[in-house]
Amino acid sequence: MSTTTVDVDSETQEPVGESRGSRNGGRSVLRFVGKYGTIIVLLGMCIGFSAGNPSAFVTWRNVSNILTEASLTAVVAGGLTFPLLVGEFDMSVGFSASLSCVLVAGLMSQQHLPIGAAILLVILLGAVVGLVNGLIVTKVGVNALVGTLGTGTVLVGIDYAYSGGLPVSVPSGSQFGQIFDGSVWGIPNPIVIMVVILAILWLVLNRTALGQATQATGGNVVAARLSGIRVDRVKIIAFTIAGICAAMTGILLASQLQAGELGSGDGYLLDSFAACFLGAAVLRDGQFHIVGTLVGVLTVGVGFTGLVIFGAPTAYQYLFEGLLLVLAVGLSSTARRFAR
Amino acid sequence: MNEKGGQGEQAISGGEAPAAPFLEVRALSKRYGSIKALDNVSLRVQSGEVHGLVGANGAGKSTLVRILAGAASPDSGSILVDGSVVSINDPLQATALGFGVIHQELNLVPRLSALENLTLGLKKPTRAGVFIDWRSAERQVATVAKRLDMRFSLRARADSLSVADQWLVAIGRSLLRRTRLLAMDEPTASLSDDECLRLFDLVRELATSGVAVLYVTHRLHEVVDLCDVATVLRDGRLVRSVPRSELSQSLLVREIIGRTAEPSVQVREPSVDATPQGVGQEGAVILEVRHLVRKPAVQDVSFSLHAGEVLGLAGLVGAGRTEVVRLVFGADRLQAGDIILNGQRLGPLTPHRAVSKGIALVPEERRSQGLVLAQSLTFNVNLASLERLRLGPRVPLISNRRGRERAAEQVRHLGIKSPGVATAVGQLSGGNQQKVVLGRWLACDAQVLLLDEPTRGVDVGARAEMYLIIKGLASEGRGVLMITSELDEFAQCCDRVLVMAEGRIVGELMGPEITEERILGLCYGAGKLQ
Repeated sequence: MSTTTVDVDSETQEPVGESRGSRNGGRSVLRFVGKYGTIIVLLGMCIGFSAGNPSAFVTWRNVSNILTEASLTAVVAGGLTFPLLVGEFDMSVGFSASLSCVLVAGLMSQQHLPIGAAILLVILLGAVVGLVNGLIVTKVGVNALVGTLGTGTVLVGIDYAYSGGLPVSVPSGSQFGQIFDGSVWGIPNPIVIMVVILAILWLVLNRTALGQATQATGGNVVAARLSGIRVDRVKIIAFTIAGICAAMTGILLASQLQAGELGSGDGYLLDSFAACFLGAAVLRDGQFHIVGTLVGVLTVGVGFTGLVIFGAPTAYQYLFEGLLLVLAVGLSSTARRFAR
Repeated sequence: MNEKGGQGEQAISGGEAPAAPFLEVRALSKRYGSIKALDNVSLRVQSGEVHGLVGANGAGKSTLVRILAGAASPDSGSILVDGSVVSINDPLQATALGFGVIHQELNLVPRLSALENLTLGLKKPTRAGVFIDWRSAERQVATVAKRLDMRFSLRARADSLSVADQWLVAIGRSLLRRTRLLAMDEPTASLSDDECLRLFDLVRELATSGVAVLYVTHRLHEVVDLCDVATVLRDGRLVRSVPRSELSQSLLVREIIGRTAEPSVQVREPSVDATPQGVGQEGAVILEVRHLVRKPAVQDVSFSLHAGEVLGLAGLVGAGRTEVVRLVFGADRLQAGDIILNGQRLGPLTPHRAVSKGIALVPEERRSQGLVLAQSLTFNVNLASLERLRLGPRVPLISNRRGRERAAEQVRHLGIKSPGVATAVGQLSGGNQQKVVLGRWLACDAQVLLLDEPTRGVDVGARAEMYLIIKGLASEGRGVLMITSELDEFAQCCDRVLVMAEGRIVGELMGPEITEERILGLCYGAGKLQ
């Protein structure tokens, strides 16, 4: 650390990490596991499943199926990354997706709105839900876990009130189903949408002032505030982003199901949390980030698909998801701790 | 009280006290890095004695108390209780020896009742071996409660009690643990005058009952009023133990400072509009602060800061210095007062508004308040000026390249030693980390720099460099307000020094008047002595 030369073009995150690692071989292995643990698990599963059943696994159809399935989780999880990054939980994303799913179908079939208007309205509503979450957490000072669980439950209530507990079907003959079923140059729409949304989220997080402020708030909220960053505002925006993404997933879900079903998006809560936490264990030391979240989503997706291909019963899918989360995150954090 | 039996055995009541004092400390030394916090200190404390412990910031009082409380271990030396050597490796052992410490913050659990706080960690009477029998617990503490004259419900929550009553709870807790030596750290800092008198009575009563009290304070008149003997520490060394017969405020000031307090210093009453004389090179008033109040730490503070000036803010720990700069930066809310920047009165401040007006704070705790340690040097330098990284006025995206260039500019300007601008700041040395925080404010052209302990945790070699940087920043036309607990730094860096005590500014020194002795003299109210 004796040189004053300034390496302006270097993009590497940790130039000193290498020299430290070379001093101690064991530590560098641990560091490696800590950083790339989840990716190793993902690659391992891909190779393992392919070797076990090459005909079924490595086909374009299969890959495209996995990605299509993963796309809905990826959109919620990408949004959820923001509140998690600033140190808050958003437990309402699943319920918000469910309500959006019912509403978008209902607005078209019962209120007879055109597709575009229904979608816009639902996304706007998602933003409002996120905004309310943010205000409750920052201005009222309710613990985020409890506060968002509360708003989420209110959303379930609204859902019941609106739909009467019955599935709401999309008007027959509507183009709405094409959102999920269509494709661009042979690539299914959901994959395109996932890539576009994650790319936007990545840009927001890494290439905007807001994103830098978000990372600072997550890294050290006191230092961020004392640097003139309005941390409350940053947090509110983070919740709003999560709300918008949850609504978009709900819309995709309605398009997939051709109907709005009560509770159909609830499961994304767990899936997206798992993906985000798996992702936080990737590449950066415990910090949530978009690329990591995507890796997390794929890890869960590949695992599920693999189990289905091998004909494992449903029970194993849950066992897999739960154990994977605990193991991958646990392994990474243990490895990092010993690497210090 | 139930525990009276234990105290009856103490030497004082017997009248024929053995030669060994209750506590004896022999040749105690403790280093923190290059700093000798305690240097060969020997001390005797008798049972039933109120023993004052005085000295300026960093004199070693806290270190001594921490060692007795088992929170720090000495590098060398020994501790004797009743004549035999003991070792204190953790707080539990300290408690078992009968040592109790009451810190200024009291360490009560705010949400628990007074009773629960009193019996915290003690074995409580139970019913059926499981359920705590609070009624008999209350009876157990009744004697202590009566002795301390607790005039409040023991079932009241600790945070609903007045500070004075909280002190009673803290003292009661010590008594219930059969404490024989009670160390009190700045007990009167947040008490009213009446409450102080009540506390003094209590301390005397405790001493009469055989408890040794180690009374740590900056308030010398309390020492003179209350203590049987006062020990003066300076720079980690024991200067002298002064017996009651010789105790006087002026003597203590002399011993604390190490020289005569020069009461002939003509102390200017700092006035808001007075332009300091003899500071011709300085520019116009850049920041003016009128009657700032945020109780209890800040009672009434007014001063003005000139462009091109390094203004020091001196005072003992607890004088309210950090609180003042936090108010000026908007980190805490003002209760009253005005902040005027370049002749313009600022409304309610938040850090965000302060930054946008060109006011910057380098906070006291660099690692926890100043930096995002896991992030790069570039990230940390640009944190306060993110909008300037935008590719264009209407483009939301920022340029990483510009960020790196702006960071590199500060690296050159401040001489930051780092492998590169992408290095995580957590890996830099203390001095370089501090430069990163400074660089953040230079990168957004701050005009008023509030530096709170800028050299803390910076090694001695790098300090001189920091002084040059600070002076350089002022000479470029900024106004710099600097807090430090290293008294020699005022003479090295500052054009003018304001001295604070108990939430007010008590004096102002300029140019050659800025000496360690005069600053300390003002801290201890020597200006008011004849």
